[in-house]
Amino acid sequence: MTSPVRIAQLSCGPEYSGVQQEINEAAKSVNGEIFFPDIALKDIIKNFEEFGLEVRSPDLKLAIARAKALVEGRVDADAIFIATCFRCAEAAIVRNELRRYIRNNSRLPVVSYSFTERTTAGTLLTRMEALTTIARRRALLAREAQQGLTLGVDSGSSTTKAVVMKDNRIIGTGWQPTTEVLGSARDVVAHALAEAGVKRDEIEAVGTTGYGRFLVGRDISADLIQEELTVNSKGAVYLADRQHGPATVIDIGGMDNKAISVQDGIPGSFTMGGICAGASGRFLEMTAKRLGVDITELGPLAMKGSGNRVPMNSYCIVFGTQSLVNALAAGSTREDVAAAACHSVAEQVFEQQLQEVDIKEPVIMVGGTSLIEGLVHAMGELLQVKVVVPRHSQYIGAVGSALLASGFVKEG
Amino acid sequence: MTEYVPKNPGSVTRYILVESPTLTPAELAIRAYEISEGAMIKETCFGLLINGAEDVVDRLIEKLRAVDPDHIFTKDRGFVPGDPRRCRANLGGARPGFHGIEFETTVLPYVSHGLFELRARDAGGVPAPESTAESKKLDIYTLKKLIEAQEP
Amino acid sequence: MAKIFIYPATSLILSDLVARYGHTPLSSATAIRERIQTAGIESVPLQITPEEPKKGLKWAAVEVPSGVRGRMALYGPMIEACDAAIVISEADLAFGCMGCARTNELIKYLVREKKVPRLDLNYPKSEEEGVRFVAAIKRFLAEQGGGK
Repeated sequence: MTSPVRIAQLSCGPEYSGVQQEINEAAKSVNGEIFFPDIALKDIIKNFEEFGLEVRSPDLKLAIARAKALVEGRVDADAIFIATCFRCAEAAIVRNELRRYIRNNSRLPVVSYSFTERTTAGTLLTRMEALTTIARRRALLAREAQQGLTLGVDSGSSTTKAVVMKDNRIIGTGWQPTTEVLGSARDVVAHALAEAGVKRDEIEAVGTTGYGRFLVGRDISADLIQEELTVNSKGAVYLADRQHGPATVIDIGGMDNKAISVQDGIPGSFTMGGICAGASGRFLEMTAKRLGVDITELGPLAMKGSGNRVPMNSYCIVFGTQSLVNALAAGSTREDVAAAACHSVAEQVFEQQLQEVDIKEPVIMVGGTSLIEGLVHAMGELLQVKVVVPRHSQYIGAVGSALLASGFVKEG
Repeated sequence: MTEYVPKNPGSVTRYILVESPTLTPAELAIRAYEISEGAMIKETCFGLLINGAEDVVDRLIEKLRAVDPDHIFTKDRGFVPGDPRRCRANLGGARPGFHGIEFETTVLPYVSHGLFELRARDAGGVPAPESTAESKKLDIYTLKKLIEAQEP
Repeated sequence: MAKIFIYPATSLILSDLVARYGHTPLSSATAIRERIQTAGIESVPLQITPEEPKKGLKWAAVEVPSGVRGRMALYGPMIEACDAAIVISEADLAFGCMGCARTNELIKYLVREKKVPRLDLNYPKSEEEGVRFVAAIKRFLAEQGGGK
């Protein structure tokens, strides 16, 4: 057993919200260990004043001073976890500025999270796993080309995807909505293998990611079972051929969204939202259904309309959809309604998540929703950049898994 | 979810902090062991931690305080001595409350002086502390005097 | 013997002086002890479970951060139980239980609203201020009666 990844916690409030135990458990389950950087009172006062952000909460002062000790190398850590109460403005400012400060001044991977009393270890698991992976497996993440014959499976909340890759090329794919987790995975794997013209026992290494990664991984004897934050950022820069330098990866999923700030293919800071369905692919699915079109037609439809002409009173999947229905009843065109729905999702992701990562070009959109042209267009308008959507972007997790799994291909 | 079973229900734990030019925590510990009545005593860098039944701990503290009343301070603690949840060895760093005590320790000499002085003086005759109002503005007359006092 | 709410509730100095002059200090430690010594669901380190922020709804609404409500579950009942209070105004370096400025603002306000006898002070910064500080507390506690 390798020694645990030492994760320094900078926080205000988890002990009093009843979630410290959840944080500890999430870290422990990925062989991480939470600790609190030790500094003396005189250093707390000095570091806080030097940092220059005049907050009033003593625990936030302590967090600032501890961050400074970590960045300056006075305390050793492998990774940093920043956690403050959801809805606290003072803490949100500190959280953002500390993340930025750590990112700009050290190589320590960092993830920030705002919790409520309902936060569980399960919610934190993917984030912690990404954090420990980045700290522990830099060598694995440094891989730039796929080798041998590998299979990648992404068992997502909405859809399951598989790809077969050989010598740095995609030679087979499979895609279908997730119904029964294992059944869906077996079907897409069979499809990808058939398309590639290879048999399961010819495959040299297998990787899985997504919500069902553990279950599917055990079922198909995967060599690599990895959360989607690192896999998708790796896959995104690989497909977009931007493996060097900075990049920002946006993945609007069926259940949650990821915004990842990447440097040389390795995620530095990331956010993962999953509280509101109104900011997810599910909202667009509902809109498509109501408009009587297939989800694949929603994007082109939106490109013909303008969201400005439809009043949206809410972003909520229930009330927002109701706004769209009302707009249709009041005579809005289907095109305008489709555009408004795309804009609504893009705006929510922009407001809730992209504020927490530093946007650096290229901005790469991946995942099934990146095929919805109207959504990509709306995101580009909000960010004022040209958004890159690489070929095969809907297979992102599967491609990233197949790529990283080739680290397990036996030489010779 | 794991069930939690408390280990020492009904006991109390108190800190004893020694901030004295003439008495060390170790010396106080020896005295404490002699009269412990079965209470658990743990020496720390700043003083002692005492755990036991409330009346036993109260009696013990009263006797210990008598050794140097102006320089021995006490406070309750939620955890028993050495509890891994609050132990520096397990947390990587001091629990946050430690820094609060660290700060108050810098103020203790003034409190000790106050306690000492008030043995001989009646508290009633001591003027009230200055107001806690955050900023005291210079009154206009003093300001005028200061301006006039400047060389032209 | 009066129940004296102290602020900061983690203060060694106030806790000591209140007990020294024969009254009961209501402090963080006693609130934490209550939780540590009660059986329930394990929740390290303070045995504050997600139920506490829900209990805190009595003092702060749901849009108030969970950390504030969790802390109010400790302090709310103490403020309700207190007969008098001693408040140190500039307690900027009281971490942990008193680590949240928003909770601290609410605590001070609720103590004020309760309209019990209250003594406001700053930490002494010299020997002379130390004398005044201790004398003020001694007088205030004597006025509450029942002490020693």
